[in-house]
Amino acid sequence: MKQRSQASAQPRAVSLPLDKETLLHFLNKMILIRRVEEKVAEIYTRAKAGGFVHLNIGEEAAIVGAASSLADRDYLFTSYRDHGWALVKGVAPRAVMAELYGKATGCSKGRGGSMHLFDSKVRFMGGYAIVGGMIPIATGTALAVTYRGTDEVAMCVFGEGATNIGSFHEGLNVAKLWQLPVVFVCTNNLYGMGTAVRRASSVSEIYRKACAYDMVAERIDGMDVVATRDACLRAVERARKDHEPSLVELVTYRFRGHSMADPARYRTDDEVRWWRERDPISSLEQKMKDSGMLTQQEIDDIEAAVSRVVTESVQYAESSPAPGLDDLYKDVYVQSEGQ
Amino acid sequence: MDSAEETAVVESHQNSRHAELGLSDETVVEMYYRLVQARTVDEKMWTLHRQGKIHFIISCRGQEGIQIGSAFALRRGEDFVMPYYRDTGVALVLGMTPRDLMLSVFAREADPASGGRQMPGHFGYPRLRIITGSSPVATQLPQAAGVALASKIKGEAAVTAVYFGDGATSKGDWHEGLNFAGIHKLPVVFICENNGYAISVPQNKQMAIRDIADRAAGYGFPGIIVDGNDVLASYTVTKQAVQRALKGDGPTFIEAKTFRVAPHSSDDDDRRYRSREEVEEWKRRDPIERFKRYLEEVNLLDDSLDQRIREMVLEEVNEAVDFAEKSPLPSREDLMKYVYYNS
Repeated sequence: MKQRSQASAQPRAVSLPLDKETLLHFLNKMILIRRVEEKVAEIYTRAKAGGFVHLNIGEEAAIVGAASSLADRDYLFTSYRDHGWALVKGVAPRAVMAELYGKATGCSKGRGGSMHLFDSKVRFMGGYAIVGGMIPIATGTALAVTYRGTDEVAMCVFGEGATNIGSFHEGLNVAKLWQLPVVFVCTNNLYGMGTAVRRASSVSEIYRKACAYDMVAERIDGMDVVATRDACLRAVERARKDHEPSLVELVTYRFRGHSMADPARYRTDDEVRWWRERDPISSLEQKMKDSGMLTQQEIDDIEAAVSRVVTESVQYAESSPAPGLDDLYKDVYVQSEGQ
Repeated sequence: MDSAEETAVVESHQNSRHAELGLSDETVVEMYYRLVQARTVDEKMWTLHRQGKIHFIISCRGQEGIQIGSAFALRRGEDFVMPYYRDTGVALVLGMTPRDLMLSVFAREADPASGGRQMPGHFGYPRLRIITGSSPVATQLPQAAGVALASKIKGEAAVTAVYFGDGATSKGDWHEGLNFAGIHKLPVVFICENNGYAISVPQNKQMAIRDIADRAAGYGFPGIIVDGNDVLASYTVTKQAVQRALKGDGPTFIEAKTFRVAPHSSDDDDRRYRSREEVEEWKRRDPIERFKRYLEEVNLLDDSLDQRIREMVLEEVNEAVDFAEKSPLPSREDLMKYVYYNS
């Protein structure tokens, strides 16, 4: 059989082919995600945010590498672990924070909460709470792009657990069959909630599933922001120029539990420690320092700036109004305004 | 896992001897009998439909090779079998009779599949471990994985054989069923009767790959391609898959390349989406004629035996029609029966 897929999951040697400005931008975004998520964990435990919360801590390189490969006009769909993706696609931190607080100034007007961040202005097409549910939707968006004859790309992000869901199969089959401009990004963090990938998926290397659709696929070290960006850029260009869909598997790890309610007893301390030693932020900092591109002062400056943004976003969320009772039926149907 | 490498093409064994497969002369003649029986039942049902006596049928015509060949590799009453709506041949080999099938299309009370409730083609017979299907395409796949999981938990040496067409392989249920069977190494034989069309949609408009067997690699078990119009080849690959399952080595995916020479159903006009040349070409590769030639070559069949078989089958099928027509319909009082278990 044809096997166009290729593996490259081995940690790469230190190589920083990008300029300092780009790398600083990546580092900035990764630190922003980390500090926002730490703050979210805090406000959640203080019962300021309702519903469920799933943190991106540990997956910052995968998020920044993948989302930064998109142009502003491209569409991004994600699972419910969506805070970091929204931030990188351009949703304002204060709008994300206000949404978690359920405030009217939130990016989904306080209706969505953590799992349903949304901002069509920056083409962040939403976090989706149903596992795998956004895969056919993203594929449909790529079909719409094809219909209109424009050149946007739809990127669809899901965990490895979603690849065992029927909608994954249906979405990938149609995407390749109709040659749609879509990039499927699987953040393989090795656990579908508490279930290890090998117990839930008959093949543990997710990129191999692409053979069923004759789709180009790659397996990438998702803790390496540069490798991730390179692979996703290739996939985005394939989608944009050749209408060739891809499956990119990013091997990564979430340092916290599945959600705030999960103590993660199904992983050993050794395993978590092993991955924490590969922290995507400190490893990028180290690589940049080693090649003389970064000083401790610059790191401190980034941290201070991010800290101000986080504090400001919390103040904004705290002081914003809750959605008005009169607006209860608003935004249910498209025509509801003025009715 | 190296299932991608295991994906193999099993060559047709047109010239190989059935004795090498451990099949007796009597067995191969019975195979021929079943082929003729399935075809005759199908033709009779079309006639009944055109006479307005029955309302709907789904045809097995052209696909009898994989149906008869694979079903002979299953152990009647021991293995669980989940046929799809086209599997008249499978049902007959496993012990359903022409009477049973006619009772079903006439929707009679004595229909063993459902007491006249199910649509035609929803074969079922609990005692024979033939599990009736739900009408939406591919729902039997997760169900088959579940049945096989039950066998595994019980430590029962039973294999579950599940049948479906090429169209079903585009469904999410299919993906979930195969993945689950792969993870737990369940004793399942997946048999895809790839007839090239999902109703009117040709394979190249359904999926971007040519061989559906390629998909098995995504679930970590072998995908085998077989000529579905070759009875003995179909038997061989199924037998190997059953043995693999019984050894605890897990599932096998079989893609049988075949063709339905009739329209999708009695409500379909296939002239709107297939050329007559394509249909005629496949009629020349008829699995029954091919097996007949084989039996003649090995001196197990001549015109007189063929004639006798055909007369026997016709008599049996005609009798089944009379029997079913005279059987009572389900009674009005039983309307709510079988809606819920124990109701």
